[in-house]
Amino acid sequence: MPIYAPSLPPRPELTDGSHPITVLTRFDLMRVIKRKVGFFIFGFIFLTILLIELIVLWGKYLINTSAGFKGFKDMANTILTQGADYQAGLIDWWLLVPLWFMMAFMVGGLISRDSLYRIRPLIYAHPVRPQDYISSKGLTAFLIPMVVMLPFALVPWGLSVAMAGASGPIWATAPLYLLPAAMVIALLMAAVTLGASAMASSPRASFGWVLGIVLGTSALGGVFTATLSNKQWMAMSPYFLVQAWPQLICRVSDPLLKWLPTLAGTLGHIALWTWIAVVRTKPSEAVL
Amino acid sequence: MISFENLEVRYGPTVALKNLSLTLEDGIVGLLGPNGAGKSTLLKTLLGLLRPTTGGGHVLGIPLGTSEAAKLRGRIGYMPEYDALIEDSSAYEQVAFWGELSGLTREQARDRAHEVLYFVALDEARYRPVSGYSTGMRQRVKLAQALVHSPELVFLDEPTNGLDPDGRKRMLDLVLKVRAELGTSVIMASHLLEDVERVSDQLVILDKGEVKAAGSMAGLRKMLAKRFELRFLDPLNPAQEGQLTELGQVLEHRNGIYDVELAEADPVLPFRFAEEIGAVLVQLTPRHDRLDEVLIRALRGNLSATQESR
Repeated sequence: MPIYAPSLPPRPELTDGSHPITVLTRFDLMRVIKRKVGFFIFGFIFLTILLIELIVLWGKYLINTSAGFKGFKDMANTILTQGADYQAGLIDWWLLVPLWFMMAFMVGGLISRDSLYRIRPLIYAHPVRPQDYISSKGLTAFLIPMVVMLPFALVPWGLSVAMAGASGPIWATAPLYLLPAAMVIALLMAAVTLGASAMASSPRASFGWVLGIVLGTSALGGVFTATLSNKQWMAMSPYFLVQAWPQLICRVSDPLLKWLPTLAGTLGHIALWTWIAVVRTKPSEAVL
Repeated sequence: MISFENLEVRYGPTVALKNLSLTLEDGIVGLLGPNGAGKSTLLKTLLGLLRPTTGGGHVLGIPLGTSEAAKLRGRIGYMPEYDALIEDSSAYEQVAFWGELSGLTREQARDRAHEVLYFVALDEARYRPVSGYSTGMRQRVKLAQALVHSPELVFLDEPTNGLDPDGRKRMLDLVLKVRAELGTSVIMASHLLEDVERVSDQLVILDKGEVKAAGSMAGLRKMLAKRFELRFLDPLNPAQEGQLTELGQVLEHRNGIYDVELAEADPVLPFRFAEEIGAVLVQLTPRHDRLDEVLIRALRGNLSATQESR
């Protein structure tokens, strides 16, 4: 037989608490990271990407300093000019593909886990407005890819500044280009993942939805590109859009996509998937 | 505590709540009704999640369907019927989270989570993930999260669902304790009439979006005290049967036994009546009806919303 407390102490004040967006975001972030799968995927993908990045940098360092690498150095001076191409290459497919997987695994469950455990009606039974709920999910979904991408913009910049000094090569300005690109990428990934998560009934289903959307739109873009002989149709796919942004912002001479289709595709995807997430998480959709 | 006037809520063309007019006082209110009766819609409306199509009302002095609904939810606790638990978190973590979401600071929410889990006798299990809890423990976590911010009003949706008799008793004891010790008003939706009968001091019976009966339990019991079964020595002739309506409402007649609701709870009245009509009353049995009789009659439409007040 349980022992019940005699009573509860007096009622505390309810006016000093944090905004619901802060509370929900903090709880979601902790929940994502605390889960074993979250720890593993976040750590594994982050370390993998970081390792690749360090290998590239180390190679570049050897090329520039070792006489034995003169041939490589000549090649590097010709190809790896540390110009726009190299900057844009810091956030490229080798980072973005694992990042899509990580989003599907970790962020995909943000809304669908609430649906699975039927938490959302209970959230709405508290002083939380629909816009608070979706904003907190959006913020969490945005912060996670940003945390992964940020070092890839800042670490090379920091190393460059450390090695060559602030008045050194073009590196000093690189983060200024890569940061907005990373923000747009994180925003697009967050919108797609949240839309998928809102449509799915479980985190596992969300994973399928995210990959389905990314691969499906890529296939569709590929069909249009082949049929109409215009590669700008690739802007239908978030997979190509996220690759195009660093190239466009760093002003690569021959970017994957042009500005207009990239902008239209990105805005279209963000609007569509955000709308789906908003509609699917309305309080009237919450069954009490 | 709660009042509505001609409240109507629609889902497109479907009318979910029809013309509800009701006043509920502080205390424990039992909300009874079959599936699809409109209980969930009523709770959603009370929580400010649905706007009334027409009519309106007040909950804790705040008008329904206004922008103040979010603030109102900080003063209400809600315990859902289903398992709305975050399976990968401990009871302590999630109760603290719900407290913070209700407007407590982080420190207050943590302190309060400990206190309220002690209140519902989960203090020793509070750091374990809820996925390993028994049904009774899970119900108590749900009650704890509804109470963590000390609401003025708490909605309990089927709080004894899935509990064994011992667990049910404990939960109902807790409901009574919430009212008696914390002073929190309770609206308890349930289909278990015994539970409602045991804890409620007011009752609302809802069906097809309409209030079929409402009032205090004391009033309902008083009404039930007027019911008797009458049997006469010889079968009544049609004229005598017609006169029975002067005695009260004849609810049922089978095999010469009349189920009558008297105008007043006075057992002498049937004897006087029998004498007046020249019949011999040989059986007068008080019908100690329970709430299920009231519910069935209300759902059949034999009990008007205002009948209880007679």
